[in-house]
Amino acid sequence: MKTLSADVVVVGGGSTGAGVVRDVAMRGYSAILVDRADLGQGTTGRYHGLLHSGGRYVVSDPHSATECAEENEIITRIQSHAVEKTGGYFVATHVDDPAWGDEWAKGATDTKVPFEEVSVAEVLKAEPRVNPKISRAFKVLDGSVDGWQLVWSAANSAKQYGAQILTYHRVTKIERDGDRVSQVVCTDEKTGEEVRINTNFVLNCAAAWGGQIAHMAGCPDVQVVPGAGIMIAMNHRLTNSVVNRLTYPADGDILVPVHTVCIIGTTDQKADDPDKLVIAWDEVQQMLDCGELLVPGFREARAIHAWAGARPLVKDSRVGSGDTRHMSRGMSIIDHSERDGLKGLLTIAGGKLTTYRLMAKNVVDAMCAQLDDPRPCTTADEQVPGSEDRKNYVITHRLEEREHDRTEDQILCECELMSKGMFTRALADQPKGNFDDLRRQLRLGMGPCQGGFCSMRATGVAHQSEHIDIERATGLMRLFLKNRWIGIWPILYGDQVRQTALDNWIFQGTLDVEHLPGPTHEEVV
Amino acid sequence: MQRVVVIGAGVAGLVAAIRLARGGARVALLTKGTGGLQLSQGTVDILGYSPDRVERPLDALAGFAGSHPGHPYAQLDAAEVGAAADYLKELVGPGLLVGDPAVNLQLPTAVGAVRPTALASPSMTAGACVDGAKFVIVGLSRLKDFYPELVAQNLNRTELPGGGRLSARGVTIDVVAREGEVDSSGLTFARALDDSGYRRRFAQAVKAVVEPGETVGLPAVLGLDDHGAWAELAELIGAEVFEIPLPPPSVPGMRLNRTLTQLAKDAGVRYVPGSRVGGFSASGGRVDSVQLGVAGGPRDFRADAFLLATGGFESGSLHADSYHQVHEIVFDLPLRVPEGALVHGDYWGEAQPLFTVGVETDERMRVRTPRGDVVYDNVYAAGGILAGATRWQEKSGEGIALASAVKAADAILAAAESTTSQGVAS
Repeated sequence: MKTLSADVVVVGGGSTGAGVVRDVAMRGYSAILVDRADLGQGTTGRYHGLLHSGGRYVVSDPHSATECAEENEIITRIQSHAVEKTGGYFVATHVDDPAWGDEWAKGATDTKVPFEEVSVAEVLKAEPRVNPKISRAFKVLDGSVDGWQLVWSAANSAKQYGAQILTYHRVTKIERDGDRVSQVVCTDEKTGEEVRINTNFVLNCAAAWGGQIAHMAGCPDVQVVPGAGIMIAMNHRLTNSVVNRLTYPADGDILVPVHTVCIIGTTDQKADDPDKLVIAWDEVQQMLDCGELLVPGFREARAIHAWAGARPLVKDSRVGSGDTRHMSRGMSIIDHSERDGLKGLLTIAGGKLTTYRLMAKNVVDAMCAQLDDPRPCTTADEQVPGSEDRKNYVITHRLEEREHDRTEDQILCECELMSKGMFTRALADQPKGNFDDLRRQLRLGMGPCQGGFCSMRATGVAHQSEHIDIERATGLMRLFLKNRWIGIWPILYGDQVRQTALDNWIFQGTLDVEHLPGPTHEEVV
Repeated sequence: MQRVVVIGAGVAGLVAAIRLARGGARVALLTKGTGGLQLSQGTVDILGYSPDRVERPLDALAGFAGSHPGHPYAQLDAAEVGAAADYLKELVGPGLLVGDPAVNLQLPTAVGAVRPTALASPSMTAGACVDGAKFVIVGLSRLKDFYPELVAQNLNRTELPGGGRLSARGVTIDVVAREGEVDSSGLTFARALDDSGYRRRFAQAVKAVVEPGETVGLPAVLGLDDHGAWAELAELIGAEVFEIPLPPPSVPGMRLNRTLTQLAKDAGVRYVPGSRVGGFSASGGRVDSVQLGVAGGPRDFRADAFLLATGGFESGSLHADSYHQVHEIVFDLPLRVPEGALVHGDYWGEAQPLFTVGVETDERMRVRTPRGDVVYDNVYAAGGILAGATRWQEKSGEGIALASAVKAADAILAAAESTTSQGVAS
């Protein structure tokens, strides 16, 4: 057993938790973040990558629209390396009413979301694959953001202010001392060791899992309803700008270029368990139909991977609608001292990735208020580590890097231009990480071949490091192949079937991975 | 003279084309790409798992066919499979294939699994995983598709199929394949090793790390066109040497592919690469011609018989659209598609039904509907397009391809004979 202590324990390593730990650390509190898995392994990593201009909400949720517009500017600036300034369009397709654009434009003006009406010809010149039958278009400041880079850079910023980030630490219990929180009990998932953290304050940022965490502190019935949405990545960018449908927010209304791929999203289905999300074939079909509306021929393009994320939507029957926890629409803060008589616990849920910094500010402000210890938030004023040069991401950055190091380093993943050096450095930083942990930072196996060529190389290189023995190396490969398949089989059609057949020839046909000696202990995390 | 069009230049198409040409037919071999051999190990699999490891594949075939009624092997008996494997062996000669179709070799893979296969390149057989074997696996630091410690240590912890253990160690040497390159492909090494001067330097570097009594395992890059390169290396190193196949492009597969392609040309086969068959015309229950999209416009290839040897999903011959309708792209032939979901989510679980989709044939390898009616009198099929097998899992790809190709070729030649004799009679 190990005992630690901190002023504040942040539970959950998604965007909210990472933003919160950065915020509390910058305000001078000692802080520890715990997550049962890797950073950005939950909803943060399972979304479409859009950094909202606010345009999506100008009619349906004006308050969120304004917040998005403001935060978009801040995140693009302080986390420049995680954000690509793609720009975006709202387009009325031939099944949409162009007159609705007037309502949209009024909403955008009222909510201070920057926009400009442009001609259809201008859209088609910039994005020739967009449906030529569109009738009306507005240009906005949408961007795309790498959720993992966003989270890791916020966490690294927190570390510079003294915070500790403990991934693969599962919270098992929250101890109380009378009417106060006193300790968070975790299990280190990699070693099985119990870790006790003495603290005065817990900020529950577990989002879709937040109800489970509150329950551990003896605060029942916090209902965070997972709203599941599926996303599909296509093998290349069909557009270089974000393309939104000019309609009231609906399913499948957005196409986002992120890194080498573009992502269509999303659906919204109530789910019972955020750990058991299903990617249903009919939802896939729905996304493809929506894709056809935006980009004709979408069904013939190649889908490479799908995933589902769980939006954390708070429903709390025990708190009246007049309660002030609604600090803003879309984000909810539950003060358990008012609700359950327990001091030192706040639960935050809802919200959007684009506004994660603002959510963090709001919940830390609420904590300071409860502690009667006002300290100002400074998170909007400082670049995160890695973004000091204020340069925004551009799609060609890895190509440029490889042009410089191609005579000294090997490329392990041709699809994503990931070098051996990148892989070994990330592995050294996270020696207990699995290949999915490294993938989230490096995009290992995320391109068209979905790990067909790089998985074995990653295994061989990992095994060369001193930390990873043969059994673990083999287990990591097995786990990676299994996990990649989770996102491949739901969209397995067209040219990805061909790719999968090739990958099967490699792994089963040539390498016979199925008949490697069995592990005495199967890697599961 | 009988005219035959063979579509597809994998092992099935090449072998059938050679057999047809040598049997007196005028053959055109149409192929979009280079063919599947470049993706293979350069070995001949007949049956490796059923689902347990198979030691004697021909003996196991009858039982396997009995429990897999829709499998291509249900129509190809052990004698036909063995004879077809021997036919290929004789075609390419002992410089490229050795072994006995009746007995599986157990050879190491590039991750250190022990893989069964029936025939192999002579450059591989010293790697047979038998009790007491002592290997040094030598990797090349500039070749990223082969990690010798991974191979050696997985082999070390394996209880061998025949019982017992082997001992292996891994070592990496730094040899330059092409000046200024740290990221050289297996093919670059193979081309370099076709040069005898380079071979000597390479052998010196290997020799420095070999201890007495060790057999040397190397990535399968030991020469491309010079089929004796590996043997000369063994002599220079002063130890037995074996090659371990890599992920594609496969150098041993390319050796077979180049050799068979040349044999086909030598036999008079008209080899037409680079275009996809884009249409066909049929009348009276027969296909009259296929259309090839070539420069200057489509060109018709008329023939008396057509052999579809286009492979499965990996070659694009079968295409599953976004509604999960599967199509055969040349003749839009009826396919046998399993009932129910075609794909499931368990990577390590049962074979995916999707990949068993393919065409059915009659006893003469003519394509028939799942109800049993021959689709066109003169359209035959062989190899990866045949329904019912999960070749990469069973390790059955070449056995199916060769036996069906030989059978189809013989049926086509026999059909011509019967037409000719009828013609004489009338």
